[in-house]
Amino acid sequence: MSFYEHTFVGKQDISNKDVDKIIDLCTEIIGKSGKLLKTEKWGLLNLPHKIKKNRKGMFVHFKFESDSKAVNEIEKKLSIDNKVIRYLTIRYEKLDLKKNYFEESKKD
Amino acid sequence: MRKKDKRKKKGDKFGAQNKLTLFKRPDFRIKRTCPLSAKNAPEVDYKNLRLLKKYVSDTGKILPSRITSVSQNKQRKLSLAIKRAQFLGLI
Repeated sequence: MSFYEHTFVGKQDISNKDVDKIIDLCTEIIGKSGKLLKTEKWGLLNLPHKIKKNRKGMFVHFKFESDSKAVNEIEKKLSIDNKVIRYLTIRYEKLDLKKNYFEESKKD
Repeated sequence: MRKKDKRKKKGDKFGAQNKLTLFKRPDFRIKRTCPLSAKNAPEVDYKNLRLLKKYVSDTGKILPSRITSVSQNKQRKLSLAIKRAQFLGLI
């Protein structure tokens, strides 16, 4: 068991339903062998350059604790999903759940 | 030989100085401490965009540590964080 952070970028024209679907799918997989600690929706952000013909991306961020199997499964599912442009999983030894860099920037 | 030496000394007064100034330490030392290892320094993370943007040039390249005076350890972490942010399309 270890801590992970997972971020995926959805297409610019992704609907809220599809976003919720992916979130549900991830929470289900994580719930099997671990614990979901936090989900953050960063919203539609401008990309610095076009990625697969998208100018904007829908960012969703998870923080969770689970096995490496769950990570493999999530990455497998997302790699097939054509509504997701990119995803990134990073292992941490400690997670700080308080800071959210993207809410602060919205206030400014 | 002596003559040559003398000539050098005479002639080199300017030339040598010019060459040396490139490598010579300045008389007053500028304080160069790592801004990221100080107390209460901000955390290096790929989500901390405001920090990462400081260490990236206008064209999006990572700035070398000899300009920013970031320590070797932190520079490694910074470059990783910047690359992660670039991959996700945050920077």
